[in-house]
Amino acid sequence: MNPDEFEKRLQRQPLRQIPGEWRQEILKGATSIRHSSPVTRHSFLTTLNHQLSTIFWPNPKAWAGLAAVWVVIFALHFGARDSAPILATVSSPSETVAALKDQQKILAELIGTAEPRELEKPRRLPAQPHSERRTLTSMA
Amino acid sequence: MPAVPDLERLYDEHAQALFAFLLNFTRDENDTRDLLQEIFTRLARESQLLRDARDERAFLIRLAHNSAIDLMRRRGTRQKYHDQFAEQLCSIFAADENPDVTAFRESLSRALAELPADQRVVVHLKLWENLTFDQIATALDISPNTAASRYRYGIDKMRERLRPLYEEIK
Repeated sequence: MNPDEFEKRLQRQPLRQIPGEWRQEILKGATSIRHSSPVTRHSFLTTLNHQLSTIFWPNPKAWAGLAAVWVVIFALHFGARDSAPILATVSSPSETVAALKDQQKILAELIGTAEPRELEKPRRLPAQPHSERRTLTSMA
Repeated sequence: MPAVPDLERLYDEHAQALFAFLLNFTRDENDTRDLLQEIFTRLARESQLLRDARDERAFLIRLAHNSAIDLMRRRGTRQKYHDQFAEQLCSIFAADENPDVTAFRESLSRALAELPADQRVVVHLKLWENLTFDQIATALDISPNTAASRYRYGIDKMRERLRPLYEEIK
């Protein structure tokens, strides 16, 4: 990629020079520590903390928010799982059928009939030709 | 590479580049001084640090970049630091007697400060360190494509920001 005129102009701007007195100070500081302090050994937790901080650094609040959302999801999930067996027992099909039969029996006793009436099913006429069926109807 | 790094040689060869890079990144001379001290102290303490480095400059820039990010993290969120930048005017360019040149450099310094740090470091390394996108990618641990796109975004923003002044003094 060739720099255009604008980029070339920026490149020509001289940067500030490092203050001369820093050289001695920085080198002196560095060498004095080299002679005096031992190498610090980081514990496993320190290293882990450092690595995690590096990973999470760009948006710590966003990561915290995401973690909070997951906690809420888990809480809701486990809460729902605890109540699930209760719902299952209530809505068991065999028990529901038995309860309905009991209710039907009580209703039949109240009305007076010994057995609850079955729903009338539509009578099915034997298969006949249409002409014969019409004759039967007119006779009736 | 010797077992104990030659600190004086390292300083003479790389301190100016690290100074400019860190000053552009932190916009604070004291922070730049502290970070430089930290880097050279680490070099003195960990003699094996540069042993496997193929490109000393790229390695040191990476070290400087990581140290600067650690400093930002210690200070707080990135945004807070950006707000601090906006209040400061710490020019990274040399002073000049010509007021027009000085005005342009100050505007350039401001425009750079307004860039996100990701873009600012790439622009700096490309323009003033003459690194290729591959070298920048290695130094910052990003892909060459990412380096190129950050540079393009950064330059476009600066071009837009400096257009009136640039047209005037061209």
